[in-house]
Amino acid sequence: MRERGFGRWVVAIPMCLLALATIYPMVFTLNVAMKSRREYVLDRFSLADHLTAANIADAWNSSGLGRYTFNSVVVTAGSVALLLLLGSMAGYAFSQLTFRGRKWLFLVCLGALMIPFQVIMVPFFRVLGQIHLLDTHVGLILAYTGQFLPFTIFLMTSFYSRIPAEIVEAARVDGSTTLGVYRRIMLPLGRPALLSVGILNALFCWNDVLISLLVMQSEQHRTLMVGVTALRGQYSDNIPLFAGGVLVAALPVIAIYLFFQRQITDGVTAGSTKG
Amino acid sequence: MMPTASGPTTRGIRSPRRGWFAAALVPALALVSAACGAAAPQTQSGGGASAGGGKLVVWDWHSGDATTKEYYAKAKSDFEAKHPGVQVEFVAQPYDQYYTLLGTAIQAGKGPDISMFNGGAQMRDRVSSLLPLDDKVGDLKDRLVGWDAFRKDSATYAVPVTLQGFPFYYNKAVYKKAGLDPETPPKTLTELQTTCAAIKKSGNACFNLGNKEGLGIEFFLSGFGPGVFSPAQYDAWLAGKRDWKSPEVKQIFDLWKKTNDEGWYNKGVNSTAMFMDQFTMFSGGKGGNVIGLISDTAHWKSFDEFLGPDLGVYKPPVSNPANVTSTFLPAEGGIGYGVMKWTKDPALAVDLVKSLASTDAEKSFFEKAGAIAADKTVDTKSVDVKAAGEIVSWLPDSKPLLHTALSAKTLDLMHRLSQQLISGDVTVDQVLTQLAASDK
Repeated sequence: MRERGFGRWVVAIPMCLLALATIYPMVFTLNVAMKSRREYVLDRFSLADHLTAANIADAWNSSGLGRYTFNSVVVTAGSVALLLLLGSMAGYAFSQLTFRGRKWLFLVCLGALMIPFQVIMVPFFRVLGQIHLLDTHVGLILAYTGQFLPFTIFLMTSFYSRIPAEIVEAARVDGSTTLGVYRRIMLPLGRPALLSVGILNALFCWNDVLISLLVMQSEQHRTLMVGVTALRGQYSDNIPLFAGGVLVAALPVIAIYLFFQRQITDGVTAGSTKG
Repeated sequence: MMPTASGPTTRGIRSPRRGWFAAALVPALALVSAACGAAAPQTQSGGGASAGGGKLVVWDWHSGDATTKEYYAKAKSDFEAKHPGVQVEFVAQPYDQYYTLLGTAIQAGKGPDISMFNGGAQMRDRVSSLLPLDDKVGDLKDRLVGWDAFRKDSATYAVPVTLQGFPFYYNKAVYKKAGLDPETPPKTLTELQTTCAAIKKSGNACFNLGNKEGLGIEFFLSGFGPGVFSPAQYDAWLAGKRDWKSPEVKQIFDLWKKTNDEGWYNKGVNSTAMFMDQFTMFSGGKGGNVIGLISDTAHWKSFDEFLGPDLGVYKPPVSNPANVTSTFLPAEGGIGYGVMKWTKDPALAVDLVKSLASTDAEKSFFEKAGAIAADKTVDTKSVDVKAAGEIVSWLPDSKPLLHTALSAKTLDLMHRLSQQLISGDVTVDQVLTQLAASDK
């Protein structure tokens, strides 16, 4: 029900302040990226006098962000594809199939959600080195898949649990195999959840710095976020250049969010209600 | 939306056409296959090299900076001229994650052949993964200075490239505005207090300070230390004989609190980042003084870019006349390169470190990036900035910094306590008791 009168303002004012607090850093970054270094040093909060895209161009041209963007696209696309395939299969199995140890296996998957990456960093690095996947796209794709798969399985299982068992039974009666049910029923019905999970995982993979930093050790294989972070040097004071790099890296994420914001919200709440 | 029998469910069953998912999956998988191909042949960091071929990988946090491009190009060409066929790859890592990343590589026993280090605790904590270099760098010993910061238990583990030190920089225009003589910076603490009162009255912050990371206290301790400790006390501190209950140590921590209480600094010290907000404020003319660096950032060159002839520099003031009559610039090795134990050809890696510390490369580091080089033979007269000349002239009398003699654990504690001291949550005595316990 829509709030009226005083109650409406009680809600609206804090929401506006919250929106302002969220939007301001973006506006600030945009403004800084449009300033010269001198302008920034003399007054970082003032509006840019002479708007310039030089910092964005510099970040793109001289820092190899174009190559890093390609790497990010490759790794993100590969990881998301693998995550969707494995996540949807596992979600189907956990929600609709009956097999021994299902509950325990699901709990193990959920448990993996609670392990911070920092805890497994060293063994992860060692194993990846031993199987010669350090500094390769495949290595990073597998790393992301391993890291984000528990979350994907959790969401897909929640979503598939809502599908009435009668539909699956009907397909079985019609002679469909387990794989056939997955392909003909689960995949088409899971479209909203797959889209949401895909978008969320794409954002996770795109924004990651730590895992990528560990896996991709040569500059030519570096991903965009690591490239942008490296723009700072030790304690670099060229903040406008850094802001230019941040903008380059953030634009695809902002675009994805604007286009798919409803699906992202749906994805986060998938499985939170039943019926 | 809840799926229903009449919705997409039946359509999905009755017309098993290739759905959106398959359409998205196929190109994505194709992309993965392409990626697998694109990544080959694999480049493994720390692959080492043998004479006549291979690759040496160097990790640092500078090779991506525009100002150090020439330095790295010179070092690389110097090395490649001596070892044709051996490739050199510099990998600039983000400084924020540098030691985390290096720590992981060290624990896994796999990483670069050569790594950049800050002198002091950061390197000393990792000597178990570094090759001792004493018998390999004898020819550099006389030309370079700052070795102490890269030694542990009298063994040398890295070669210094720059020096690190804490001079007091000041803005002559701010002094002038406050009615002070811009050519006569304070020599004693009393003069500094008078100076600060005048600057504060004129509407500026006397000092720019950022203690968000807790680093302000390091600069304060090492910056004011030469004016407080007697020469014997100073040497004892560096040698590990530290008396945290002495009146001199108490004087420094008292002064840290008192200067804040007297309003020497800009607002919000504990929420202001030292790197780079503190130094950006000073460059922007929003403060009279700052304790800056002579190493690779926040130095004379970066300040000169904005302040020009208004930039001045002075040595730490005499704060305890009973102990000290004149002071010196606290300075030691800044950043250097160490050779990792797992490198396949240590002699080759040492040669690359020597190229990174060659006079030609060092000269470029000084002139373009502003760091005072660790090479005594670099001609500094080519740079026409008065502050740089003064700093170089003070180097022969310098002594190492007080804070780098402490362990990383004690420094971390000191960072936190310095913030609590400023916010009034602990007393100086409590701080000193805790630091003494940590420094045992």
